[in-house]
Amino acid sequence: MTDAERRGRLLQFAAGAAFLALAVVLVLIVINASSGGDGGDTKLEGAAPVNQLLAGLPQKGMTLGDPKAPVELVEFGDLQCPVCAAYSEEILPSIIENQVNNGQVRIDFRNFTIISQESVPAGAAALAAGKQGRGWNFVELFYRNQGSEASGYADDDAFLESVARGAGVKNLAKWNAERAKLTPEVEKTTEEARSLGFDGTPSFAVKGPGAGGLEPIGTPRSLEDLEAALEAAE
Amino acid sequence: MSYPSEGTLRRAIAFAAALGIGVATYIAIAESGGGSPVCLAGGHGCATVAKSSYSHVGGVNIAIFGIVGYCLLLASAFFANDLARFGGFLVSLGGFGYSVFLTYIELFKIEAVCQWCVASAILMTILFLLSATRLIGFGGTAEALPDRA
Repeated sequence: MTDAERRGRLLQFAAGAAFLALAVVLVLIVINASSGGDGGDTKLEGAAPVNQLLAGLPQKGMTLGDPKAPVELVEFGDLQCPVCAAYSEEILPSIIENQVNNGQVRIDFRNFTIISQESVPAGAAALAAGKQGRGWNFVELFYRNQGSEASGYADDDAFLESVARGAGVKNLAKWNAERAKLTPEVEKTTEEARSLGFDGTPSFAVKGPGAGGLEPIGTPRSLEDLEAALEAAE
Repeated sequence: MSYPSEGTLRRAIAFAAALGIGVATYIAIAESGGGSPVCLAGGHGCATVAKSSYSHVGGVNIAIFGIVGYCLLLASAFFANDLARFGGFLVSLGGFGYSVFLTYIELFKIEAVCQWCVASAILMTILFLLSATRLIGFGGTAEALPDRA
């Protein structure tokens, strides 16, 4: 084969490969364009266990459990806080499955934004989900999909919308409109946490017949410690 | 039509591929612990893109594929034969095509732009143009003597 022939053959192959690549890219784009999604197409982990944990439990605002439960456990958390996420996965499920499920305890999530300013819109988004009865699904799902602290993911609209979607928020337009107005509520509960003497997350407080008002209990180190604090409040 | 010498094209390919290895390695390291590359000027696009399902193919971070592609392109710059010319063209064509797809995904699906991904896409586009020029200009020619740059 002469150099000219070899060159001709190479360029033919190259043209064929370029045509094939163009076709593949076009097919990929067409498939993706027709598969829907509108910015919330973000992978989320843990939706199934979160939905399973919270299934059948009443939610009103950011309160999980029977509103008439005698003991109220208040969690002051920051959605970006990895310790809160660990607490939420390792300690709270037992409380939810037992004391909340049998109507003894209700848990109220309140924002205590200490990691960075990005926690404020994230917290407001959780409150807006709470307006549609999906606040705890939002918080739990957010915890399970945390990124690095203050890396910019926490107030990213696409991320927040994907969490809201995954949490089962039905009216996203309403959620979107409301979350913008809930920043003062986030700031108010952050102030409340500070007034209780908290300086870290998660921090807890209990309220019940055995406790005088909202009683700070800090961060119980184990499930047993938390259960003991709840029993004392009964 | 006159082309730059093959030596010049190979040096440009080696330079762009080395830059690409740096960019792709940074993205891969930044995302390895569940984090994301730091967007310049405080943008949030990198975190959003890193969190998206498009950041992995078959469980493997696409930045790893990028590193492999850039390494192959770097290797292609060290040889002046048809295998290197055609192989380099094919790798850069694949990389360029995938970059076009990912840019479409960023703009219209994820609705967030990661500056590091854009940098990689630009490098891959440059490498595609260089590799195509090299193949069109020098494909089928005898193996060149080693460069004496």
